[in-house]
Amino acid sequence: MHELSLALEVCRIAESRLGGTSPGRLRRVGIEVGSEANIEVANFEFCLEALLGAPPFAGASPSISRCPGADLRLAFLEVDDDGPDD
Amino acid sequence: MTVRTIDVRERVMAKNDEIAAVVRQRLGTAGVPALNLVSSPGSGKTTLLERTLDALGDELRISVVTGDVQTQNDADRLAARTPRLVQAVITGGACHLDARQVQQALDALDLDDTDLLFIENVGNLVCPAGWDLGESSKIVLFSVTEGEDKPLKYPAMFRNAATAVLTKTDLLPYVPFDVDRAIAAAHSVNPRLEFFRVSALDGSGMDAWFDFLRARARVAATP
Repeated sequence: MHELSLALEVCRIAESRLGGTSPGRLRRVGIEVGSEANIEVANFEFCLEALLGAPPFAGASPSISRCPGADLRLAFLEVDDDGPDD
Repeated sequence: MTVRTIDVRERVMAKNDEIAAVVRQRLGTAGVPALNLVSSPGSGKTTLLERTLDALGDELRISVVTGDVQTQNDADRLAARTPRLVQAVITGGACHLDARQVQQALDALDLDDTDLLFIENVGNLVCPAGWDLGESSKIVLFSVTEGEDKPLKYPAMFRNAATAVLTKTDLLPYVPFDVDRAIAAAHSVNPRLEFFRVSALDGSGMDAWFDFLRARARVAATP
């Protein structure tokens, strides 16, 4: 139920961590979901796909891995430095 | 294509937790304990608060922030029991309160004129467990109509709470609910969980609940 707000927060962090790199160059977003993080992964992935497919992003895909514990982390960002800006 | 990986490793809840820390600092400086009431919908959070305001409203300066997905019905019910401001937060669909909403709600309250703050969370036994609001502690309610295994089904909520209130005990003669089994289930998840058994309707167990609140408010108010 709260997956959309968490997905929005992932996108906010991603944008801030890209620095001067255009969000349009983002290709993959690595996320670690704790087994006790109270997150329905399929729903979360759906929300991420919707947000990362819309501007300012340009079709980046979420890469979700499960881990023990209650944390939810944005683990890594993959960017294409040769790609178009948007 | 030149692919570059940026290592981030940032907790997604970090921003909420950062604001929660500010809320906690603000409440701590004012000496106001904040109790975050969490439960599934219909467990009796608002009724418990109504009776609490009736009983302690002249003795303690109690402030309330109440969250609901839609309507301010709960805030209106509570406002009828106290001359003090009841701050309503309508989440508009979100299944929990977050720290930013509480931070904004505090702006409308006079913390120097408050002995005890209740935060009545949105009715939901899943999502509110993961959101730190800057509260002193979480108090989880569950009613005798919900089944003894609630703590086993929703362990995060019971693990994160310091206190549990078993509500609607006046219905025990009419429902197949084993109190000892329910408490054992809760303690298997969180052995330190303090328990109250109450009926806000017939008043049984409420004196112990009121004493608990008096102790919390006065201890926190002591420099």
